[in-house]
Amino acid sequence: MKYILMMNGKKSDFDGYAQWSKEDLQANVAFMRAFSRELKDSGTFVTSEGLGWPIEARLVRAGSQGEPITDGVFPESKEFLAGYWIVDVESPEQAYAIAARLSHAPGPGGEPGNMPVEVRRVLSSHSDLGL
Amino acid sequence: MKYILLMSSTKAGVSGYHTWSQSDRDAHMQTLGAIVKELVETGEFAATQGLAEPKEAKVVRGEKNGLPVTDGIFPESKEFLLGYWIVDVATPERAYAIAGRISAAPGPRRVPTNMPIEVRQFAEHPAN
Repeated sequence: MKYILMMNGKKSDFDGYAQWSKEDLQANVAFMRAFSRELKDSGTFVTSEGLGWPIEARLVRAGSQGEPITDGVFPESKEFLAGYWIVDVESPEQAYAIAARLSHAPGPGGEPGNMPVEVRRVLSSHSDLGL
Repeated sequence: MKYILLMSSTKAGVSGYHTWSQSDRDAHMQTLGAIVKELVETGEFAATQGLAEPKEAKVVRGEKNGLPVTDGIFPESKEFLLGYWIVDVATPERAYAIAGRISAAPGPRRVPTNMPIEVRQFAEHPAN
């Protein structure tokens, strides 16, 4: 079964990340690379992506003629997706264990960031919704 | 350039979806399916994925000993990702146009859902 592990943050969290020292950023990136490599070696890795800064985010709705109406203003409480991993595991518990490791990615000063990681099952088809 | 189009909703929004008639749901899925087919044909399609219901969602943190601590309680305002599309397009405007078409997909009684679609660029990040 496939699960998606998502890291989310508010704009203020992203602002904080932008202020990390170069060493702290490098340690974090090295951890993420090793983490992805380990998932690949264990055969659980499906895909992973990192997203650009929230300042570039746009909300799009269709206008009355179907034309896109874009908006770049979000509430401060808005959670932005920072990045995700999709893993193929035997049980939800295995996904939670992997998410816990991700939560321990090093933050400032090398301390575990203890970031919350949202874990969701992904659908193989819409009939999985059971509607 | 690659963009990800994110469709999200609160739990209340997802509960609303449960009240749609089967034919409304079918019409909605047919429109989304047709958009994907078109993107495949234009070579702009990269990936799409739907997520299971928010009621199964867990947020996980690592304890000091590395064990996972799971929590399934979220604020009512929490936006849950329902699904995403990844497109490879020439301009951001093209990504917005595709997002607009997804937003215009029919909902109950074939009225466009007008759901907001969040459009984000991928990071030029060394971890990728």
